[in-house]
Amino acid sequence: MAMSAVARDTVFALRRQIAKIEGTLPERLQAPEPSVPINASGSDMTLVRRGLAVASADAFLRIGIERLDTALGGGLPRAALSEIHGLETRDAGTVAGFALSLVSLILKERQGLPILWVGTAEIFHEAGLPYARGLHALFGIEPEQLLFSEAPKLLDALWIAEEAARMTAFAAVILEIRGSPQRLDLTATRRLHARAQNAGRPVLLLRQAGAADPTAAPVRLIVSAAPAASRETVAGPLAGSIGRPAFKVDIGKSRTALPGQFTLEWNPNEHAFAERTENSVAVVPASQRGADPASASGAVLAFPALASSASGDQPSRQQHPAHRSPRRAG
Amino acid sequence: MISHRDNNTQRIAALDERAEALKLKRGMGIADARAMHPSIDVVEADPEADRRLLEGLADWCDRYTPLVAIDAEDGLFLDVTGCTHLFGGERAMQNEILTRFFQQGFDVRAGLASTPGAAWAAARFHGDRIVAGGEEEALLSPLPLSALRIAPETRTGLESVGLRTAGAVMAAPRAPLARRFGASLLLRLDQALGRLDEAVSPRLPVAPLSVERHLAEPVMLTDDIERLVSRLAIALKTDLERRGEGARTLALLLFRVDGAVSRIAVGTSRPMREPRLIQRLFHERLTALEQSIDAGFGFDLVRLSVLSVAAFDLTQGDLTGEADDDDADIALFADRVRARLGEAAVLKPVVVESHLPERAVKTVPFAEAPQRRAPAAGRAAPPMTVYPPERPVRLFRSPEPIEVPATEIPEGPPMNFRWRRALYRVARAEGPERIAAEWWRQLPGEEEAPTRDYYRIEDSEGRRYWLYRQGLYSSAPQAAPPRWYMHGVFA
Repeated sequence: MAMSAVARDTVFALRRQIAKIEGTLPERLQAPEPSVPINASGSDMTLVRRGLAVASADAFLRIGIERLDTALGGGLPRAALSEIHGLETRDAGTVAGFALSLVSLILKERQGLPILWVGTAEIFHEAGLPYARGLHALFGIEPEQLLFSEAPKLLDALWIAEEAARMTAFAAVILEIRGSPQRLDLTATRRLHARAQNAGRPVLLLRQAGAADPTAAPVRLIVSAAPAASRETVAGPLAGSIGRPAFKVDIGKSRTALPGQFTLEWNPNEHAFAERTENSVAVVPASQRGADPASASGAVLAFPALASSASGDQPSRQQHPAHRSPRRAG
Repeated sequence: MISHRDNNTQRIAALDERAEALKLKRGMGIADARAMHPSIDVVEADPEADRRLLEGLADWCDRYTPLVAIDAEDGLFLDVTGCTHLFGGERAMQNEILTRFFQQGFDVRAGLASTPGAAWAAARFHGDRIVAGGEEEALLSPLPLSALRIAPETRTGLESVGLRTAGAVMAAPRAPLARRFGASLLLRLDQALGRLDEAVSPRLPVAPLSVERHLAEPVMLTDDIERLVSRLAIALKTDLERRGEGARTLALLLFRVDGAVSRIAVGTSRPMREPRLIQRLFHERLTALEQSIDAGFGFDLVRLSVLSVAAFDLTQGDLTGEADDDDADIALFADRVRARLGEAAVLKPVVVESHLPERAVKTVPFAEAPQRRAPAAGRAAPPMTVYPPERPVRLFRSPEPIEVPATEIPEGPPMNFRWRRALYRVARAEGPERIAAEWWRQLPGEEEAPTRDYYRIEDSEGRRYWLYRQGLYSSAPQAAPPRWYMHGVFA
């Protein structure tokens, strides 16, 4: 009994530590009922509930798309490190555009505060410098608000970002890194995340052509380009024209662990996102939590379809991606 | 023994005592010297290295006075006016300088006088002498003409008429001398005797303010240096406050025991006098330089100088004691990054009126950028009658050439293109937007740069690019086909 109480203490201590790292507020429970025979230190136990219930609503920046906000558990955390991935360096424009639209949403509340864009010399050479004129027209970011920092090496870039992340004078700090360098590990990102939490400012980590390494960031979004809609005119859409910027956003990692893919369109006039629904994939809640997964993905057929496979009623691959060879399963 | 090439002959440029004892002389041919003593050791002269050594010594002499000037190839002028009492008087100071040079392995002669000319003569013809004010004439009279710092031709001319000592020239009537040998002779004479002022131009600008600390025990650790910096900065603060100024450029001079001097400068983007902030700037700088500063046996003199100052505007903090000044925070942040990573580490875009995309935004170092201005209250934004042309989110430093195999119509957008060795199929295109070269910036006679036709392109995967074609297709047979470039990417 004593052993198990000690073990439980250790588990709670570890959980508290995890909660501290992840930035969720540990909830303190009432003292346990006397009928439960655990030792006195049990009153110090914490319970971490992930997801919607824990953090207050204004800890999140609402992206403005209900489904995406729900899938992220309320929106993008305001005081945290968030990762935005691009699969290839040629997606740099798209990734930068998405990050800047998030910054633009942040700037709606903190008007006039500058933003700092830290990058290594390599990425600025490969993907180009953010262009102040374009940013002004699309995202309403004034050139005076922008500060760039070009670091010769990754270590220097991390140092600059860390120093900037602890300041409250910036509305947001963007750190852009290409590839998956070894130095950008759990420790480095945890330092960034902790500073962002203390300062209450977001740090966006843009990773161009990087692998999904383990990092301390609670949210990872994978952004790629989506074909733009046509320009809207009075006489309807103008054929062959290129309209507002569009992004395809995948949730790579989030508190709620709900996967999802969204096609977002940025409205440069109102500085807001809109979702394009015609070709999006349904959000499927993870099986352990939330609603019954069956209701989201439609009827789940066990094996009757197989039995009547002669009639051509095969299960679709989307429903049973694991059952690619029905003959063997049968 | 050191040789140098003069008029196609190797001659002796300098020699040590042992060579002198062999009756060798400066200016003697190397061939003659070798004939006399075949075993002599000859080294080629290296004036560059001599110069560097002399500058290093001049740096070291900065510890005695900020006014140090280099005199020709082998001399240093130290203007010690007002400095001697710090070292216990003229005699003590000269002795200390000579002792310390001797300990470093230099054979130095010094002269101290109230005029540069007299000091020069005293150093070169007496070795170790202090000439009191008014004794210049007595000093110079018995000396040969070369003590007057005059050109060799003038000297030969004077010797040919029988004037062999400085005293003889002083006694001679001035007018004929000036007529025959020019004004420079009398100028030198008057300067040496103190009848005319002679300015010695120091090699480094004199800092408006500096504080220093002599250490009995040399320091080696970076932490100790930083602690000293903050002590010195506290001393500096009162001076800056009295003058109502703040420092814009600060330099930290570390004098090593063996004579090497390290000079570490930091710039600030706004006037600064707070010791804590100064110390933090130097902390970054010292961290960045940790590898390159060699403490050796330690530093025995640390000096903090303010190289340039600017008026310091006092700001009122609020009652909670927290001055809510974000700009100051950012300026300090930028200074720290600059101190560590160099001037170009923090950049700020500045919008320029221009049609050319690469000129329209200039990125300048933070310190040179104009300060953020407060939004003008009375001025409304100009009415937006025309939508501004679409501009990309990222612009490449220099346009990257792309291969365009085919366009639909001769001056239309490409159908596909190859950029960085990957092929892209164009799904949609918008344009062209024609941007011509700015003729008003063109130098006369310069060929006009070709116009650019910019297209917004969306490829089959939905990425949007900004391409342009430089020049136009021409029907002339020898005309080169226009070239295509990638200039930016859209969101």
